[in-house]
Amino acid sequence: MDYAAFLKEAASGSLKQVLLMAAIIFPLMLVLEIAKDLNVMDKLSMMLHPLMRLFKISHSGAVPLMAGLIFGISYGAGVIIDAAKSGELDYREMYLINIFLIICHSLFEDTALFVVLGANGVFLIVSRLLLAIIVTLIFSRWKKLIVQNAGMHGAGGVESRHA
Amino acid sequence: MVTTETFKRGINKGITTTWELAKVVVPVYIIVTFLSYTPVLKWFAGVCQPFMHYLGLPGEASLALVMGYTLNIYAAIGVMTTLPLTGKEVTIIAIMLLLCHSLPVETAVSKRTGVNGTVMVTIRVLLSILSGVVLNWLI
Repeated sequence: MDYAAFLKEAASGSLKQVLLMAAIIFPLMLVLEIAKDLNVMDKLSMMLHPLMRLFKISHSGAVPLMAGLIFGISYGAGVIIDAAKSGELDYREMYLINIFLIICHSLFEDTALFVVLGANGVFLIVSRLLLAIIVTLIFSRWKKLIVQNAGMHGAGGVESRHA
Repeated sequence: MVTTETFKRGINKGITTTWELAKVVVPVYIIVTFLSYTPVLKWFAGVCQPFMHYLGLPGEASLALVMGYTLNIYAAIGVMTTLPLTGKEVTIIAIMLLLCHSLPVETAVSKRTGVNGTVMVTIRVLLSILSGVVLNWLI
C-alpha cells in the first residue's frame, strides 16, 4: 500500500470536503437568515406546504426540506439541526424530512452528473421525487416505522443530545 | 427587516453548522479513502458480480455501484466512464446511485439530526436495488 499517497489524498480530500461544505453552508446560512428576515423562504417553501399537510408535518418543516432538495443532504441536515435546536420540529417531523431527503436531495447537481453520461434528466428527477413522496407517505402513516434512537424520546431529540 | 444582526446570525450559524458536520465528515472520509487503498472495495465488487444480471448490468458495473455507495457519485462516474454502457444501463445505474450514494458520510450527517442510521441505510440500499430490478424489467 502506498501510504504517502493515502495520507496525501486523505488529508487534502477531507480538507477539500470541509472547505467545500463551508463554501456552501456560509452563503446558505446568510441567504437563509436574510430570506427569513424578508420572509422570502416562507414564500418559496410555501410550495411544499401541500406536501407537509400530506405528511402531517408542521409548515416549518418545508424550509429544511427545500434547502435539502436544492443544496443537498448535508446542508438540509444543517438546517434541520438548526430547526430542531430552536424547537420548531419534533422527532417525528425530523425523521420524515430525513426519509424524504435521503431518497431525494441536491436534485439539480446530482442529476446533471448523469445527464452528461446520457441518462434522461427529467425521468431521473420525476421518479426520484415520486419515490420520495411515496416512501415518506408510508412512514408518515405507519407509526411503528418511526424508530426511536436510544435515549431519545419524542420532541427535541437533538436538543437532549447536545444539552 | 435585514440588519447587521441578520449577518451576525448567519455567520454564527455557518460556523456552528460547519463544525458539527466537519466532526463527522473528516474521520469518515479518511477511513473510506484508506479502504480504497486496500483490496476491500475491489473484493466486495467481485462478490457482487454474479448478481449483476438481475439489474441488467455488466459485471464490471458492480465496482461503479460499490464506489458510489461507499465513496461518492464522482468516484462511480469515474468507473462508469471506463465501461462501454448502453443508454439503458446508464439510466439504471443513475437511478440506483441517485437513490443510494456516499452512504458513510451522508448517513453520519443525517444521524446528527438524531435519526437512526441503520434504518436510513436499509431504506436506501433496498430502494436502490429494487429500482434497478424494476427498471431492468420495465425498459
